[in-house]
Amino acid sequence: MKHLLNNADYFLKEVKAIVRINLLSNILSFISTALIFFILAMVISGWWMSNHVIAVIQGEAEINAYFAESISSAEVIQLADAIKRIDGVREAQLINEGQAYARMVEILGKEARVLEYFDENPFSPFIEIKIHLERMDAVLAELHLLSGIEHVRDNRDVLERLRNLAGIIRFLGYLIVTAVGISTLVIISHIIRQGIDNNREQINTLRLLGAPESFIAFPFLLVGLLLSIGGGILATMLAAYALRYVYAQVAGPLPFIPLPPRETLVLNLIILIASLSTFLGIAGSLFGLFAAKNNQ
Amino acid sequence: MIEAKNLCLRYADGTLALHDINLHVEPGELVYITGPSGSGKTSLLKLFMGVEFPTSGTLKVLDHAVTKGQASNIRRLRMALGPVFQDFKLVKGRSSLENIMLGMRFFGFSSREIKENAREALIRVGLEHKAESLIENLSWGESQRVSIARAVVRKPALILADEPTGNLDRDNALNILEILKACKNEKTAVIITTHATHLINENDGRLIRLNGGAVERTDELK
Repeated sequence: MKHLLNNADYFLKEVKAIVRINLLSNILSFISTALIFFILAMVISGWWMSNHVIAVIQGEAEINAYFAESISSAEVIQLADAIKRIDGVREAQLINEGQAYARMVEILGKEARVLEYFDENPFSPFIEIKIHLERMDAVLAELHLLSGIEHVRDNRDVLERLRNLAGIIRFLGYLIVTAVGISTLVIISHIIRQGIDNNREQINTLRLLGAPESFIAFPFLLVGLLLSIGGGILATMLAAYALRYVYAQVAGPLPFIPLPPRETLVLNLIILIASLSTFLGIAGSLFGLFAAKNNQ
Repeated sequence: MIEAKNLCLRYADGTLALHDINLHVEPGELVYITGPSGSGKTSLLKLFMGVEFPTSGTLKVLDHAVTKGQASNIRRLRMALGPVFQDFKLVKGRSSLENIMLGMRFFGFSSREIKENAREALIRVGLEHKAESLIENLSWGESQRVSIARAVVRKPALILADEPTGNLDRDNALNILEILKACKNEKTAVIITTHATHLINENDGRLIRLNGGAVERTDELK
């Protein structure tokens, strides 16, 4: 560590010289690394968003049971009590027409104006049943056996579709992470090998002077890290900007989609891209160094 | 300091570069190695630097056995040497001072110590006014002096100079030899290979003449 600090000025000058010798190649490598990380950031964001939406919907696992309008209020209360006793039901609560209307107004937000066109309240009362998700099938079967229940609405279809979508995004995520890993390793190791070839004479001189291999290799490792982390930083900035746009587009017209907080998403992206770019920068540089050594 | 017994070097293409070399160098000695082209002078220095390895016989330089396959041992040996190359092996695009500093970057000195020592070495070879000059802007003689400064700054136990006077006029060659002679002290030995026997006859030290890869004659100079 002391060696590194004592020679910090030398290493920085070396990095500058290595980059300058092959400036165009280095700039193109930097841009490609940034774009690769940007694609990764966007796919990962989609993955996290869909996971969040599923988690929120799962957390609100509920079934709405609509009963015949002919049954009396006392019978409705009895029905709700019977439902509460079903294994897998956490809570059962009667929602009257007024409450149903108010909930829809809350969900629709500004668009709730549309409800004003109805002369009468279009919503029916129902029993809202909160359940343990894993017991959904059993609860549904029991509900159908109860007399007075006319119709049962559950969010299983929505959940299934979301799960399928999340599965596809996750698969895409794995593919992209693999592609990003391989591409970054190839780009960084190639640029390091090129740098070593261009500095062959100087490296030989350092070896003749007895310089440790770590001393010779360190500037190249720094170049790899600079390209990779620099690309990662640029990608994160682009992704943060793109996410702001996506949130503006989604949060306004589709307010009922429960997106995770943007700040948390961006912070997680920064942590992920920073760790990944550091790891890939070091790994790519080491690959390049080993490949160059084997070619001697 | 150097202990060579029955040293032989045969290159991969079958050329026998050196054979039956027996040599002993003590600390503080000044040794000139001369001989015609192809007599094995540079090959012998390459062995001392651990660039080549003996085909047979044994060689110890500064208590390091020079044998193949011991990279860390050879690296430690090279750290203890002060090499001066015929083609200088200075880094282009860097100043004289930076090149000298490069010679002691990995010895654990602080940045300030490295710079101070490098400046002192430049003064020693009379090039303090060229500290910031780029290597490619120096003359042949000046480049050789920077190369010597880079060797000296490491305070080595053994300075190995390969043809340091090659391509230099008489005055510059004598100047380089004087600088190298001045590097010799109680602890530091200096070995110089050269064609220019006419320049060294007036010097003290030991003269080893090589011919056909073997020691032809050894003379003590006065």
